[in-house]
Amino acid sequence: MKSNYLLSNKFKIPGWLLLCAGLITGLLLMIMEFDSDILSLSVLAFYNSDSLFSSNNGFFVIITNGVFDEIIALCIIVGGLLVGFSEEKIEDEFIYKLRKDSLVWAIIFNYIVLMFAIIFIYEFTFFNILVFNMFTPLLFFIIRFNILKARA
Amino acid sequence: MKNNIKIERARHNLTQGDLADKIGVSRQSINAIEKGKYVPSTLLAIKIAQLFKLPVEELFTLEEGE
Repeated sequence: MKSNYLLSNKFKIPGWLLLCAGLITGLLLMIMEFDSDILSLSVLAFYNSDSLFSSNNGFFVIITNGVFDEIIALCIIVGGLLVGFSEEKIEDEFIYKLRKDSLVWAIIFNYIVLMFAIIFIYEFTFFNILVFNMFTPLLFFIIRFNILKARA
Repeated sequence: MKNNIKIERARHNLTQGDLADKIGVSRQSINAIEKGKYVPSTLLAIKIAQLFKLPVEELFTLEEGE
């Protein structure tokens, strides 16, 4: 069964490593409330509006930012995409169906959870939900797909 | 849809894994088809039937109401 969006099976293990490394450091960073100024670098911001110095506000400005959290986020997303969208050892129509079903399930489940969070979680705590929500569709998809595959 | 894959497999003394290897699908697919959780494509149904040298209708049968 050939599909045009799947990567080779070789990307599966690097994907898991990136994803796990990203998730573990990300959670640690969140729990221990590390300073977000680790690895401070000058970066190009397409748009910036929250600098105290007005000269640093506007479109296409250079600002200083701790890029550690950005790196973690990219690790989780790239790792998650590699895990979710690389071929299984044996790719066939049933696996293809499991993958599609898991994707649909993940999107619906994610938005149901988000709806509950919108109704029952407020103020700054909701900001954390938004941060988690950047990754949950991909994570729910990966978890669901692997559970279905293990049970089949 | 019902199927006799499990019976035919036993007659030919094949495990789910053996059958999967011979047809080039995953073991999970054979298991899901046997349990009736997954209806295979025509392509896969014909491949399995040819392996057991049976007409497709003898391997796969419709259930009442289908």
